[in-house]
Amino acid sequence: MRFLSDLWRILRHDKGALIGGAIVLIYCLAAVFGPIFVEVGNEQDASQAYLAPSLQHPLGTDALGQGVLSQIIVGTRPIMIVGVLSAVVTVFVGVAIGLLTGYVGGVADTVIMRITDIFLTIPGLPLIIVLASVINTTNPVVLALILSITAWAGLARAIRSQAMSLRSREFVEAAKLQGVSLSNMVGRQLLPNVGPYVAIHFLLAITGAIYASVGLFLLGIAPISGNNWGIMINLAMAQGALYTTDSAFYLFSPMAAIVILQVAFVFFSRALDSVFNPRLRVQ
Amino acid sequence: MVSYILKRLAMSLLIIYIVISLSFFMIRLMPGSPMAALEAQLRMQGGLSEVEIQQRISAVYSVTPDAPVWEQYLRYVWGAVRGDLGRPITNPGTTVVAVIAEALPWTIMVVAVSLIISFVIGIAVGAMMAAFQNSRFSQAMTFVVSFLSAVPSYLVAIALLYVLTSVYQVFPSGGAYGIDVTPGFNGPYVISVLYHAILPIAASVITSFGGWALGMKGSAVSVLGAEYVRAAESRGLSDRRITQSYVGRNSMLPMVTQLALSVGFMFGGSVFIETYFQYPGIGFYMIQSVGQRDYSLMMGCFLLITVSVIITNLLVDLLYPLVDPRIANPAARARAADQPADPDQEVLPAGGSMA
Repeated sequence: MRFLSDLWRILRHDKGALIGGAIVLIYCLAAVFGPIFVEVGNEQDASQAYLAPSLQHPLGTDALGQGVLSQIIVGTRPIMIVGVLSAVVTVFVGVAIGLLTGYVGGVADTVIMRITDIFLTIPGLPLIIVLASVINTTNPVVLALILSITAWAGLARAIRSQAMSLRSREFVEAAKLQGVSLSNMVGRQLLPNVGPYVAIHFLLAITGAIYASVGLFLLGIAPISGNNWGIMINLAMAQGALYTTDSAFYLFSPMAAIVILQVAFVFFSRALDSVFNPRLRVQ
Repeated sequence: MVSYILKRLAMSLLIIYIVISLSFFMIRLMPGSPMAALEAQLRMQGGLSEVEIQQRISAVYSVTPDAPVWEQYLRYVWGAVRGDLGRPITNPGTTVVAVIAEALPWTIMVVAVSLIISFVIGIAVGAMMAAFQNSRFSQAMTFVVSFLSAVPSYLVAIALLYVLTSVYQVFPSGGAYGIDVTPGFNGPYVISVLYHAILPIAASVITSFGGWALGMKGSAVSVLGAEYVRAAESRGLSDRRITQSYVGRNSMLPMVTQLALSVGFMFGGSVFIETYFQYPGIGFYMIQSVGQRDYSLMMGCFLLITVSVIITNLLVDLLYPLVDPRIANPAARARAADQPADPDQEVLPAGGSMA
């Protein structure tokens, strides 16, 4: 595994990337196993509301007397699911369109690229807000589709320009002379060569989707049901967290959870970048 | 040059047309569409005849519900072209266009000012980071800047609100100007407007200059390694000349292209920021109309945000030849046309400035 040993070598020397990678890993574990170990019950106990941090509730309690930390852990899963699903859709559509149009060229390329231009120009976040408010869904798959409605376009453009430069390389010529099928050409010849770029974009697409999806819950555009960080901040704000110092932990803990995750993703993706781009390491 | 601008113009009109159509289909044809919902709601209230119900709906969405779909569509598009976007459901006394016309200047002011400030700060910081590579300063700034560019703007807005309007009441927590000043071009009013705009602008500058700085650093570092810079150095040109004409200009090019892409992102982010600071811009009304299920106002806001983004993109396109004379110069353009790839497509940011 060349890749893993390279990655480890980079991570060992880049403290920021190492910590970022570790944090991303912890969040993934929390998303997978968190709900098994931690439970947020339905019982409400007003006498327990807005407690200061204690051993039992390390980050205090909310207005209903439930632990903030356990809510954050339970809220990790829906956030990560939507983020990863949306990144998968974004990357799949972007890479497929980029590689096909870049390699095939011609009229199809022109037409599809004009469509891509349209998606690049329409402001993504307002479109997401409009769609989410009309569709009004809690289904993570639908939410992920909405979130990736414009995100694929930038990736498609970038991948296309790489595919265009790959088109004139010898190994593509050789494959063409052997008469390989289009799916083989795109999937086996071109895809591995843009892989690194795709991997980095995948991480960034997750951060983008988390940004937008938390925003939707935060503003109450996506329906408030269940438990995630955006809903927590929304409820904290609605309960007047700005005007009392009691609920500072309730308001700022989910915010910190988001910031730490986003920053960790960015730092980790930087390490991936230097694994794949040896040019960056020389400088 | 002319054909370049005409092409962009045609594309812009097409996009506006598509967004108008999209808003029609969302209002009219979605299952459980807002229009059907309004019709049902009016029926429930009772006391209205069928004709009155149809008239109400037609006033709100400027379409006649029982006409054939294609006729509704044509009327809707024609209405939108003439600047008739219907009336807000929650406030039928006014028109959507009137609400938006009042809100748009505030949004444009905040977005434009914060875009310019974050661009200038970001370019300066990025250039410094490239100039003093491997220094303590550069390492520390890289960390700060990557951190800030990863923080969502709405969280910065909440933090600013908490610290500066609630704990320390330094800034007002809402509105575009104070209630004690008279709108117009007078001293107190201008000061009040600036005072109210500081927090929204600060929130978006804090989260967006980092992206510019990182982009500029990357761009400047790659230009610094270019052959023509070494050639210029060996010709004995002054440092000042090299930084300005050789490194500065060439590393600015991708940044100006990104400017066009980031405008849409800034308008998107302004939706969050305006909502939290209760700043009466177009994003504030958009979120408010979402909360009140006021779809005609919501689509109007969306349409106007798109149009603003498109117009700003056109302005950046016009600006681009100033920075890169090769675009305006026909000979260079002919050479560029021979190449398979469109030059301005190569410089897309890897991840954009999503967060």
